[in-house]
Amino acid sequence: MTDKAYNDCVDNFADGVYRFIVKNIRHTEDAQDIVQSAFEKLWVNREQVLPEKAKSYLFTVAYHQMIDHIRKSNKMPLSVDTTIPQQQIVQEDAELKQVLMHAVNELNPIQKSLVLLKDYEGYSYHEIGEIMNLSESQVKVYLHRARLILKTKLSAYAPTAS
Amino acid sequence: MQLNESTYETIFLLYIDKELSPKEGLEVEQFIADNPKYALEMEALKATLLSAENIPYAFKENLKHQLDATSLEDQEKDWNQTYATNLKADMDSIPSLSTSFKNALKKEVATEGIILKPFGFSQQKFSYVAIAVCLMVFLGYQQLTKSSVLDLTATNLISANTKTEQLSNKNTNSNASNVETGLINKASKTFAKTNALVPKIYQEQKLSKEAVDTKKVQRIHIIQKESIAMAEPTPDNRSLNQTVITKLPSNYNNPININAAVIATASIDSETLEVEKELTSYEVIDTEDPNRTIFIANFEIDGNKLRGLKRRVTSLFKNNKSERNK
Repeated sequence: MTDKAYNDCVDNFADGVYRFIVKNIRHTEDAQDIVQSAFEKLWVNREQVLPEKAKSYLFTVAYHQMIDHIRKSNKMPLSVDTTIPQQQIVQEDAELKQVLMHAVNELNPIQKSLVLLKDYEGYSYHEIGEIMNLSESQVKVYLHRARLILKTKLSAYAPTAS
Repeated sequence: MQLNESTYETIFLLYIDKELSPKEGLEVEQFIADNPKYALEMEALKATLLSAENIPYAFKENLKHQLDATSLEDQEKDWNQTYATNLKADMDSIPSLSTSFKNALKKEVATEGIILKPFGFSQQKFSYVAIAVCLMVFLGYQQLTKSSVLDLTATNLISANTKTEQLSNKNTNSNASNVETGLINKASKTFAKTNALVPKIYQEQKLSKEAVDTKKVQRIHIIQKESIAMAEPTPDNRSLNQTVITKLPSNYNNPININAAVIATASIDSETLEVEKELTSYEVIDTEDPNRTIFIANFEIDGNKLRGLKRRVTSLFKNNKSERNK
């Protein structure tokens, strides 16, 4: 990978990686640190990384650093979303999105990462499996379980909203 | 794919994750159209999808590498990659291009790495071998010029020198004939002429060559003695007889003296001619002359040295092979 290709990666993938991390750990400064570390690692290994694999490489590095970060902190950081009263969330459609995010935040880290990678980045089961070091069938099972949990939680809010 | 009461949920999840083929997607849509009660189920699952959300990373510029003049190489690499990709795409898009033409384009790349690969030579080792060959040719040439031309010339010159000395000694011991004096003068002139050409290094070889050359001179000496003995009936009247021989008319009928003088003259003259012939047969080669071309006819090498050389070359090939395998 050339220097120019690396800069292109920064332009194209920095937002996505940052969004993936900040949605997971809900801590902007830590997310920025993780993104910076991921790009630093990409820069160091740029000779071995093909440009077409750079995005997958960045997400893989960022995901593993995020897991390390969660293990070190041994806690999921508190989010502003958790403090939002449910009654206000279900008042409007715009707030339905926040309800969904609240439900997503209650998933376990693996399920949460699966949902984020699938919905935000549009990765296939196979690609997600490569990033998270899981088999394709594991991805499928975990993601389906996560969807059903979200569906259940959303349906629990829906009667209140209606 | 079978859509029914027990499998619909899994297939619906695959549908919203876009993991189904277009044909399977149409089947799902047809199933929902046929069974409206599953439409709500599908909507509930679709509601779990996160909508696109843009969260910009504020420090992109800090992550970027500052491109400078050295990045021109990277740009060149990019251009080369783009050119290669475009060329391949263009060639694939034109089916009428002949295979030979395509192969001709490929050959240019292929010829780069051929040169000495099949022999397992690296460039460094090849240069060593080339230097060794040049050295061997130079040494062979030097040896050849020493042994064949210069040695022979020097030998001839030394033998002429020796003959002259022998003849000079002979002159002091005996009052030889005028023919002998003439030979001495001729040899002295030849010696004076050729002595300047004798290299100093061959003066040391003079003693070793002397033993061989003295045989020829001894033979001349014996012939001379015999002829003088035949011309001198008694040792006491040598001077008288010499005078008689020189003063006698040419038609004087003394077969012994005349024949002896003729024999001595003829034998000494023939030797002188041989010496002159030998001297004129060779010439000193000026090795510094750039216009001279020297052909090396044969090359001798000792069997043991040849075997050692073969062993070294074989080990060189083996080393190259093992390095290649590594």
